[in-house]
Amino acid sequence: MMGPGIPWYLAISSILFSIGVAGVLLRRSPLIVLLSLEIMLNAANLSFVGFSRLFGEMDGQIFALAVMAVAAAEVCVGLGLIVAMARRRLALDVDTLTELRG
Amino acid sequence: MVNGAWVCLLAPLAGFLAITLAGDRITRRQAGILSTASVFVGFAGAVVAFIDALSREPDDRAVTTTAWTWLAAGDFKVSIDLLVDPLSITMMLVVTGIGGLIVLYSNGYMEGEDEERRYFAYMSLFVFSMLMLVMGGNLLLLLVGWGLVGLASYLLIGFYHDRSSAIDAAKKAFVINTIGDAAMALALFLAIAKVGSLDYSTVFDAAQSGELSDTVVTLLALGLLAGAVAKSAQIPLHTWLPDAMEGPTPVSALIHAATMVTAGVYLICRTHLIFQAAPDIQHLAAVLGLITLLVAGGIALVQWDIKRVIAYSTMSQIGYMFVGAGIGAYPFAMFHLVTHAFFKALLFLAAGLVIHHLDGEQDIRKMGGLAKSMPYTRWTFLIGSLSLAGIPIFAGFWSKDAIISSTLAYGGALGWILYVGALLGTLLTGLYTFRLYFRVFHGEPSELVTAHTHGEHSDEGARSMLLPVGVLALGATFVGFLAIPGVWEPFEKWLEPVVPPLVQATTAQDWFSSLISVALASLGIFVAWRAFQARRELVPDGFARTALEHKLWFDELYDVAVSRPAQLVAMRLRDRVEVPVVQGGLDEVAEGAVRGAAATASVQSGLLRTYALAFTVAVAILTLVFLVVR
Repeated sequence: MMGPGIPWYLAISSILFSIGVAGVLLRRSPLIVLLSLEIMLNAANLSFVGFSRLFGEMDGQIFALAVMAVAAAEVCVGLGLIVAMARRRLALDVDTLTELRG
Repeated sequence: MVNGAWVCLLAPLAGFLAITLAGDRITRRQAGILSTASVFVGFAGAVVAFIDALSREPDDRAVTTTAWTWLAAGDFKVSIDLLVDPLSITMMLVVTGIGGLIVLYSNGYMEGEDEERRYFAYMSLFVFSMLMLVMGGNLLLLLVGWGLVGLASYLLIGFYHDRSSAIDAAKKAFVINTIGDAAMALALFLAIAKVGSLDYSTVFDAAQSGELSDTVVTLLALGLLAGAVAKSAQIPLHTWLPDAMEGPTPVSALIHAATMVTAGVYLICRTHLIFQAAPDIQHLAAVLGLITLLVAGGIALVQWDIKRVIAYSTMSQIGYMFVGAGIGAYPFAMFHLVTHAFFKALLFLAAGLVIHHLDGEQDIRKMGGLAKSMPYTRWTFLIGSLSLAGIPIFAGFWSKDAIISSTLAYGGALGWILYVGALLGTLLTGLYTFRLYFRVFHGEPSELVTAHTHGEHSDEGARSMLLPVGVLALGATFVGFLAIPGVWEPFEKWLEPVVPPLVQATTAQDWFSSLISVALASLGIFVAWRAFQARRELVPDGFARTALEHKLWFDELYDVAVSRPAQLVAMRLRDRVEVPVVQGGLDEVAEGAVRGAAATASVQSGLLRTYALAFTVAVAILTLVFLVVR
């Protein structure tokens, strides 16, 4: 097998995932939160593809493609929501959206 | 034979279903025609079965046909059986024949009534239920029919559901009948436990062979007797029948005179082998019948409602049938059932003509002198009255005297008590029947009658009402000739293979007791005539009259002894158990749910990042757990 071994892929995948988690937890702008989510999804994709290469199977790559499709759909909805918020001149801050407080 | 029986059973059911499903897509008149036709088709089926049975040897006339196995639990099986034998064919002919005439009469009587369709649907349902009762080939199907006729009776007594008295009467009839049904069901449970089957022959064999202990057989017979007593309105479960007169008059004629209330007699005849194995219970049936026939005859002397007088006379006549069945004169009990169906249906329908003519008035004090304006009704009512009083050539004479002479032939202390009581009953019958007849039809026309008389021969009713009355009057006159003692006895020969009588009066005994009973009945009629002319009441004021007017305080007794305590217990249970425990417990559960929800709600901060953190931490912990545990 050519190139770096599977531990490298996993290491980068987990680093990306941690960056995504940190972004979701720490940033308040919905746009950045959405962006961080995408990073997390792609971290998962990276490990899928890495394992696919390790085992020489196609399953992981198919999963990665499916995840991309889902991510695209999710971004559509998420961006749509953000645009809608901007149109109604709501503050673009996830901490102010607390209407569902029990 | 079997095909005729199935047609007979299913035609009224089809009529009931068709009327119910058609709803208001058919007119009221069409519903009446449909119902009448369905019952008459049933009658045709019964006639086919009858002719077929006649063409067979007398011992070969009982056929059981099984449609399918209805219930199966291990060794215990109950099938949908029909039993077609002379006894059930007799009942089929009575139920569909007289039932058909009464439904035909209803077409005229119920004209213009709201909810006619419902009425006719119930009538068809009743006929089906009654046929189920008499044709059921095992005890369970008998109980099914038994319950269904109770239901139909309940629905029809309460037909005028805007009258609270009708609703009360319907409930009373249902509750009292349920006591009998429950007793019967217990007897059936006992039969299942001890015999393991509900087939007639198996249970009868077990009762006859002595393999069951005396206690079991006695309890079995007692349960069946309780059912019969409740359904046939015999003392002590009789109080529902007079109140049941709240229903429309044709209903009283069909259910509370001709068919359903006589089901108890049919039951005793059908299960006579069980009763014969428990002679004490059979004697009890005769004694209850005797008490009922005397008490009801007495009460009938002081009633003012035309239908209630006839209702009490029904109780009294069924008392005769119980006496007959109780001493083992089954063919004569059945014979009296048949003739009674004719003349009592006739009396009710003729009374219905009177009530219809007077726009619903039932109080005989406001009647009088109707003979002139309603000649047809008068003559048919007179035929019914003579038949009821047991005056020769009319049907009631032959059947009632056959029972009375059987008590004479039975002998012993019991036989003599029954004999004297039954003779006393004929005197009472003559008195109350003709007190009613004279009051309604003779004397000067009352104000009410004059107000309803238009012209010389005013309209007595629609043709559909007059025709059945005429046919029943012919029946009440001639049916008696089916059993002339010592001369021509086809009715007894017909029933003997199924219900062999235990007693057989000699011809001398027959004619001897007939002489006395006719003399007593005539005396009763004569006294009633004299009292009517002298404008005196038959029972003078005093304790006896008060007692009879209060129906011997049976209602009051049950009110104090059963109804009030039950209400008291129910109220206590509501206050002590229902409200604090059941209701309170539910309230606690509901409040707990509310409090729990409030506690969880405080966790919902609405802050998206808090949720995300909780999620992340949880996933991290789970990951650690998996790593460590592995």
